[in-house]
Amino acid sequence: MTQLLLNTLSLGAAYSLLAIGFVLVLNATGAVNLAHGSFVVVGGFLAASLGAMLKLPGAIVLPVVLSGMMLIGGLLSLAAYYPLRNRPAVSVFISTISMGAILETATLLVFGPSPRVGPPILSGGSLRVGDAVLNVQSLSTIVLAIALVALQYVIFSRTVLGKRLRAVAEDREMATALGVNVNVMILITFGISAALAGAAGLIFANTFYITPGDGEAYMIKTYVAATMGGWGSLRGAVAGAFLVAAFEVLVPSLPVILPWAVGALPSFGALFSPTASTIWLYLAFLVVLFFRPQGLFGEAVQQRA
Amino acid sequence: MLRSAKLRLVVGLAALCALASWPLVMSSPYDLRLFTLAGVFAILAIGYQFIFGYVGELSLSQGAFFGFSAYVTGILAAKAGLDFAETFLASIVACVLLAVLISIPVLRLASHYFALATLGVGQVLLLLAIDWQSLTGGAIGLSGVPLPKLFGVQIGRGWPLLLFVWSFVLFAAIVAHQTKRGLYGLACHVVRQNAVAARALAIDPDAIRFAMFLLSAAIAGVAGALHAHTIRIVSPEGLDFKVMIACLTMAVIGGRTHVWGAVAGALLVVHLPEWLRGFEQSYVIITSSVLILILILAPEGLAGFVDRILPVATPERTSTVAASSRPSNLPAGEGVLMPSETPILAIRHLTKTFGGVHALNNVSFSLMRGSITAVIGPNGSGKTTLVNCMTGIYRADAGEIVLGGNEITSMSSDEIAARGVGRTFQNLRLVEDMSVLDNVAVARFRSEEASLGKAMLTGRRDSRLERARSHALHVLRQFGLDKIADARCGSLPHGIKRLVEIARAICLDPVVLLLDEPAAGLNESEQAELAGHLEGLAARGLTLLVIEHNMEFLKSLATHMVCLDYGELIASGRPSAIYQDERVVEAYIGRRHAAELGA
Repeated sequence: MTQLLLNTLSLGAAYSLLAIGFVLVLNATGAVNLAHGSFVVVGGFLAASLGAMLKLPGAIVLPVVLSGMMLIGGLLSLAAYYPLRNRPAVSVFISTISMGAILETATLLVFGPSPRVGPPILSGGSLRVGDAVLNVQSLSTIVLAIALVALQYVIFSRTVLGKRLRAVAEDREMATALGVNVNVMILITFGISAALAGAAGLIFANTFYITPGDGEAYMIKTYVAATMGGWGSLRGAVAGAFLVAAFEVLVPSLPVILPWAVGALPSFGALFSPTASTIWLYLAFLVVLFFRPQGLFGEAVQQRA
Repeated sequence: MLRSAKLRLVVGLAALCALASWPLVMSSPYDLRLFTLAGVFAILAIGYQFIFGYVGELSLSQGAFFGFSAYVTGILAAKAGLDFAETFLASIVACVLLAVLISIPVLRLASHYFALATLGVGQVLLLLAIDWQSLTGGAIGLSGVPLPKLFGVQIGRGWPLLLFVWSFVLFAAIVAHQTKRGLYGLACHVVRQNAVAARALAIDPDAIRFAMFLLSAAIAGVAGALHAHTIRIVSPEGLDFKVMIACLTMAVIGGRTHVWGAVAGALLVVHLPEWLRGFEQSYVIITSSVLILILILAPEGLAGFVDRILPVATPERTSTVAASSRPSNLPAGEGVLMPSETPILAIRHLTKTFGGVHALNNVSFSLMRGSITAVIGPNGSGKTTLVNCMTGIYRADAGEIVLGGNEITSMSSDEIAARGVGRTFQNLRLVEDMSVLDNVAVARFRSEEASLGKAMLTGRRDSRLERARSHALHVLRQFGLDKIADARCGSLPHGIKRLVEIARAICLDPVVLLLDEPAAGLNESEQAELAGHLEGLAARGLTLLVIEHNMEFLKSLATHMVCLDYGELIASGRPSAIYQDERVVEAYIGRRHAAELGA
């Protein structure tokens, strides 16, 4: 039970990194970055190959992954967002979808199609605290995520750069009028967003494994998290991320938690397989969208006028 | 213009010949198979244009419908052994049902929700297809899908299958053409460019989006079923997101709203991997880069590029329409009706709050038939909230709005417009890339009872569109705008656009017309002209409600005036009385100043 809770928390922490990055770009540009899931793939493969090459734990590889992803995020904004910034939002959707395809295909070409396993953040073992056996990777995921979110928070709320970044997200025209270079700020936002997603990729590459085609699945989970929490809200995105994680960890373990239900209903196990949990999550999401388009906790989203 | 039309014809014929001779020249079994596949994808892309092109919604489930339909065909044909007619129909119906299911929660929402929620469908189906091995054959898929057999005739591979598939391309193209060309197509255009304006013209954008989404799904169903019969196997690959990306690429490269653009896009995208075989898997990088480049450099795609170098000649519509008969339901003559004492629209105790702030508080007044009522008040006094409540954009928290005895308080915008409340917008909402005539004519959508079903059945001439245009031309003539009927709205000066918007609202045949700051941005002579037009409309029995700041403009125009301040109605009466009213003066220039003036 403790392990289950820990798994949920660590998965939720990793999804938070994804969701926060997604919402940062969303707020700064008003555009949805559909290549966000591909950042996870690229980050994961970077971490896996560096870890295998240098035989170092994830925590040491992390700075390289973060700076590499920042560069990729910045480049993506130059290629897929900047030229289309004054066009209808749909153009940016399409260009980021294409960028996602480019990133994933490039990963496939460079690293090959086989799944990779990344290095653990610290070590792969487990820790004994009293009666409970705790997975070190899960624990260090939570610590790492908290550290990165704290860093992001400090950058955004305590530095001049952060003030400018927030000014751009708040009101782009006003920021321009006050002499903030909006395009540079958006480029930096994309960079930070990609770095956070790359860190999530580093975590997932060890917790699960990573293949070049994983982008869409992560994209959808990020999106569900951002929407469930309330479109455009950072806190909501974190809440949504934990909700998605809870679904993913708890639903497949229901047959274990409730053995009597399996006895009563032979197909109970199939209804709560890991695959089924994704389907349940999506259905739950559609129900939420139907009854509460503003998200579970969030402010009202813009409906069609 | 004429030369360009001729050139278009020549180029079009040449392209058709090239298309027909393609499989004749490249006629190896492999080439024929590729050409057949291109046909399948052309159908998919033509279907995608309904939702992506005509109403401009980025759906990411077209690939999912395609793969889903292929599975339905595969399972029913290979496992259950049903024949083509049955599996084909079942595949299409299954896709449409799935589309209905998806659209209930997401179709009303803003575009990013729609894009991402439709993206999820494909993922869920893909997981199901891999996991549900007993039904779908898991990751390997189902083989042994038979070639189609119709009326006892087996369609062989090679040429017969190619022609079979391409006849469906023709069918899809005809459906697309029928949808696009008439009054229904104009309404789609307005929904895509300006959904709020569509509602004000009694067009329900949700209904049109819903219809287009289902049609997209149905045609994806056709493509998916044919794909299963062509490659004889169904596998999770058909549900992969790559199919969706390919479909999107075809639509963007070819051009979003041109049928032939979809066909050209499909031919290109299907053959590109063959031509770029040297690049192996990296061709995805090339096609995706091309896609981004096209988005940046030629957002309208190949078709838009052709339109730019060979513009479509606009037919001399004005003269042909003018020759047709005068619509019978226009008010006859220029007779003068005096304002009556019958209230045509009554507002009773209307209240609207935003987070504790009363934008409107217990506001009541009535509009008499043929009167021109002005609503005045300082900024933030609730004038625009009032119009938005009256037109169904906001829902009032309390109170009621009664139009000719019927309560309209909780109706949607398009319903209210259909009941006879027309409106114009403070910041103009015309469709810039449509002609003046069509901008106005589309207001006849509801009166002409245009629908998708009727659009499919129209013959060579669309009589609904002709009647709508002739009606629109009559209205334009009243405003002296018939000379510019063929001009594009985007090219017009501001003052003219205001008049066009009023003409559009008049074309709806409203009983009440709400004008939101009609004089804003007009110079004095334009204002005088506008006032003349409005007085003429009122004299013919139309009831007007004018929201305005400009007191000079209102002074001689309004027959009745109400003044709002902080959401409350503080005065109501004849203009001369309002100008003298203490509370009105206070509201405008402040209490102390008013006291000083009084002293």
